[in-house]
Amino acid sequence: MMRGRRKSSEALADLAGQEEALTDVAAIREVVGLWKPQRVRLVTGVVLSVVALGCGLALMRGAGLRYSGAVTGALVVGSSALAVLGVCRVVFRYAERLYAHGAMFRALADLRVWFFRRLAGGAAAGLGFRRAGELLSRLVSDIEALDGLYLRVLLPAVAACVILPVLWFALARYDVPLASAVVLLFLVSCFVVPVTAMRISRQEGGVQLQALGRLRVGVLDLVSGIREIRAFGSEERMLGRVREADEELMRCQAALAWRMALADGVSRLCGYGAVVLLLLAVTGTGFSVLPVVPAVGLIFLVLAGFESVSSLTRAGMLSGMMGAAARRVVAAAGPEERRVRAGGGALLPAPEETDIRFDSVTFRWREDGPKVLDRLSLDIPAGSRVVILGPSGAGKSSLAALLLKVVSPEGGRILLGGADLASVSDVSVRQRVAWLSQATHLFDDTIRANLLLGRPDASEDDLWRALDDAAVGDVVRELPQGLDTWLGEGGVRVSGGQGRRIALARTLLSGAPVLLLDEPATGLDSQTEMEFLATLNRVAEGRTVILIAHRLTGVEKPDYVWKISEGQAILVS
Amino acid sequence: MSDTKAAIRLWTKAQMRLGFRAGSPVILISMVSALLGAGQMWCLASVLGPVLARTMAGGGAEPEAGMADGVPLWGVAGFAVCALLRVVAGIVSEGLAARAGEVARRRLRRDVMGRVVAHGPALLRRSHSGAFAALIVDRIEAADGYFSRWVPASVLWMAIPALLLVCAFAVQPFAALILLVCGAAVPVCQAVFGIGAAVASRNQFLAMTRLQARFLDRIRGIATIVLAGRAEDEARRLAEAASDLRVRTMKILRVAFLSSASIDVAMVVALIGIALADAHGVSGIQAMISAHPDHVAAPAAAVTRGMFVLLLVPEYFAPFRGLALAYQDRAHAQGLASSVLELPELAEREAGAPLQSVGPEGVSVAFEDVSFTWDPARGQALSDVSFAVPAGQALILSGVSGSGKSTVMELLLGFVRPGSGRVLFSGTDLRDIAPDSLARMTSWIGQRPVLFAGTLRENVLFARPEATEAELFTALRAAAVDRFLPSLPDGLDTPVGEGGFGLSGGQAQRVAIARAWLKDAPLLLLDEPTAHLDPATEADVFESLRRLAARRTVIMATHSGAAEAISGHRVVLSGGCVVRGSEV
Repeated sequence: MMRGRRKSSEALADLAGQEEALTDVAAIREVVGLWKPQRVRLVTGVVLSVVALGCGLALMRGAGLRYSGAVTGALVVGSSALAVLGVCRVVFRYAERLYAHGAMFRALADLRVWFFRRLAGGAAAGLGFRRAGELLSRLVSDIEALDGLYLRVLLPAVAACVILPVLWFALARYDVPLASAVVLLFLVSCFVVPVTAMRISRQEGGVQLQALGRLRVGVLDLVSGIREIRAFGSEERMLGRVREADEELMRCQAALAWRMALADGVSRLCGYGAVVLLLLAVTGTGFSVLPVVPAVGLIFLVLAGFESVSSLTRAGMLSGMMGAAARRVVAAAGPEERRVRAGGGALLPAPEETDIRFDSVTFRWREDGPKVLDRLSLDIPAGSRVVILGPSGAGKSSLAALLLKVVSPEGGRILLGGADLASVSDVSVRQRVAWLSQATHLFDDTIRANLLLGRPDASEDDLWRALDDAAVGDVVRELPQGLDTWLGEGGVRVSGGQGRRIALARTLLSGAPVLLLDEPATGLDSQTEMEFLATLNRVAEGRTVILIAHRLTGVEKPDYVWKISEGQAILVS
Repeated sequence: MSDTKAAIRLWTKAQMRLGFRAGSPVILISMVSALLGAGQMWCLASVLGPVLARTMAGGGAEPEAGMADGVPLWGVAGFAVCALLRVVAGIVSEGLAARAGEVARRRLRRDVMGRVVAHGPALLRRSHSGAFAALIVDRIEAADGYFSRWVPASVLWMAIPALLLVCAFAVQPFAALILLVCGAAVPVCQAVFGIGAAVASRNQFLAMTRLQARFLDRIRGIATIVLAGRAEDEARRLAEAASDLRVRTMKILRVAFLSSASIDVAMVVALIGIALADAHGVSGIQAMISAHPDHVAAPAAAVTRGMFVLLLVPEYFAPFRGLALAYQDRAHAQGLASSVLELPELAEREAGAPLQSVGPEGVSVAFEDVSFTWDPARGQALSDVSFAVPAGQALILSGVSGSGKSTVMELLLGFVRPGSGRVLFSGTDLRDIAPDSLARMTSWIGQRPVLFAGTLRENVLFARPEATEAELFTALRAAAVDRFLPSLPDGLDTPVGEGGFGLSGGQAQRVAIARAWLKDAPLLLLDEPTAHLDPATEADVFESLRRLAARRTVIMATHSGAAEAISGHRVVLSGGCVVRGSEV
């Protein structure tokens, strides 16, 4: 637990470094770039929205013209034209909404799948390996924040770009100074105010996010530390702490809400200001006289035009937050994976043999961090049972990460069946080496689905055999829904020991010739732990078993015991 | 199932009532703002009416320079003033709406946290602590819109149109009739499409939540997926799930958007209807003008009225739109309702013997035929367990995991009550002891002590914030925390816990011992305190524990051989029964 926390803060520091190298615009551009396959759909959505907007504007202007025209006796707009515009407005608005939402859902799916692939393929697999669970959750909420980019930011922005020239041309025909003044007000409303909102939200958003983070930490402390809190009778004190964090968040939010309301007000004032200008022109005050019949149409047009961009203030605020979210997401996804090695040759499949050899391996998690392994060498012959011992932090987990090719050594080589791991493809390494640790994740899915992750084509019998081998078959048989029992988030519906055994069953099912068990019995009581380790002696016949532990319990029957100390491996027996 | 639905409805209704209390200023100001809007439109029409009438009198000729004479410039000023006031009203109501959301979130958070704390650790057996954090932080945050938007909108969609209808009726009864009919058609259309849409939006919300949960789960377990070589598979399945969501959601949205299209239709019909009806009325005005070309006042007023109702149309339909936009917020609140209702109510203490305080000196503990069941499906966790520990002595509980050790601990801590039998502290039944008195009596050290976000000093002082510096240092020395202090960047003021400096398991356990030392309670409960430590550290920690245990009543659950450092009675549990008790 403690170690996981330290490593996740290191991972955070790593990410922060990559984040700084990115600008908001570059990050958003990269996200938008992902939508290329949906380009046609997204553009169609934009076009439809523009047409719907045009119909709406024309309808409002037409209604005004129709009335004023009738009064003055000049038929400017026919009733049928008005009806057609009305129908078009309704139909296009409906089509636009439907289409834009469809496109947005596709884009949303693309973004998630892209992120998953990148994270799976890149250095961030190490991130997951280092158990930065909270960090990953934050990234997921960042991705959710990006969902609104198209619908709530892009579409209103395009609408503004369309309305601007329409206003200009409609007004400049009569009076250029008037047109300039109205367009100026429009620019304030659809550009200056939203950009200000974006600035504010980027500043305040950061503060607000921190406050939210503090609240979250406070609540997590309150819930996960509930035993301590109850045992020490400090409920009121801890609740008070959370309330303080809550109040601080509320203060930030209230400040932001007032400023946004103000920005919104300014934007609306611009719209009304434009109408005042038109009225002055109609009465011939300050501007050359505007003929009244078109003026009525223009007033309707201006009212509708400003109304259509009123959502831009909010869009500005959202985009301020999205910039930061996009930056974090792009930074975490990391650069495109290089499939081809620097030497030029493609990666090879792993050889059949599974002798493992660490040859003078040096490794550190971060470039400026301390050396975890320092010219470490050790041998693990195929089919042998090896225990690797060492206190916490000695580099045992680093050894596992290296062998799984989650990270690469700074110096030295790791050989699998005589081939340098650096030249072997990740996938084939992981087909040879199956991994089980306390960080092994049980998915919020059925037991069956969790097991099938180990081998998708396993038969029902295979599943039961694996469960029995892991000594959890009887437990599963007793469950009312058997294999189809839902495990729940993080496997919370079964006990810790049972969950670990289900994870073991999954590992056994994979059929990999090398089992890499990184403190697999942590958190189990001694008897369960011994049974668990004894199970391993029985089921893993013929496979290489590498057990990483901080102590021997006595039931293991290792062929070799290595001890890691000061970055080196010493053969103990 | 229908019970839950009824409960959800009841809960949301209660929330809505509470929401109205904070939301009524918002509603009031929004109505004032709507009236100001009507004022704006009246001023606008008052300027345009006379000008139009004049143009009419001029036979539709192009206007001349002298046209502006007699046109009420007060209309322009009035429009500007109304606009200004309306903007101010808008800002105030938005700010107040944000505050209403704030009030509601504060209330909900306090309620939920109160329930979680009162119910205690037993809750964590059912759900992950992360799930509670998500409920208290994120889901309540998401419910903001329900109070800041939905609650006002649910009133305003009727109140504002009604208000404007009265204005329109006073000016032009026929146009008001058109507005009334079109406005009434909206809820009818909503009812026709809307029922489906309401169900739909709830389902969509659920589907969306499920997709998010799946994505989060897969991202959290990404190392497991990658190392099992299933990354490509999972990516494909993720894409399938998302596209499945899209197909289903779009089906729903097709209907849901119909309900907003119905607002569009109603508005367009009203707009065209009024424009045409007015145009017919205009021929009468024209007759008036041709009869008396010099008296433009009466026809001008008629034109103004027609213009006013036309301008009122968008204002009239805006609240309908506001309601449609706030619909999603309602779904969030319903989602929240089902989570909150899963939490147990704050239990009233059952009447009985008055609560007693037990003297802090020398606590003896006894279990008398205690049985306890967590889950009836899994049978009893403890059955007829009896043992006794005299004051100042130690008891070692051993047994495999699942034998009932932790249940004994939970009972001793008062987190759960025995199903039958009694737990006695110095002869007093645990259920008759006031909770704060119980808390004063006991110290507890678990398997993995929780370090709160804060400095190391705060974490130790957690046990007794009012302790003096000298007492603090005595505790630190006794727990051997002082041994690793020099290795911390800022000594006692090093931040630990979430986001802080990571302490090792042994170091964290020492912090817990220091806490217990500082608290100086007569009863010490130890729940496998060294389960996660390596042997060398374990021996070290036991050394500190032995010092702590001196002169106290100790009950320790353990499976470790090193526990022999503490001598005392031994009780072995198996399957919830005492199988062996021995004196050492």
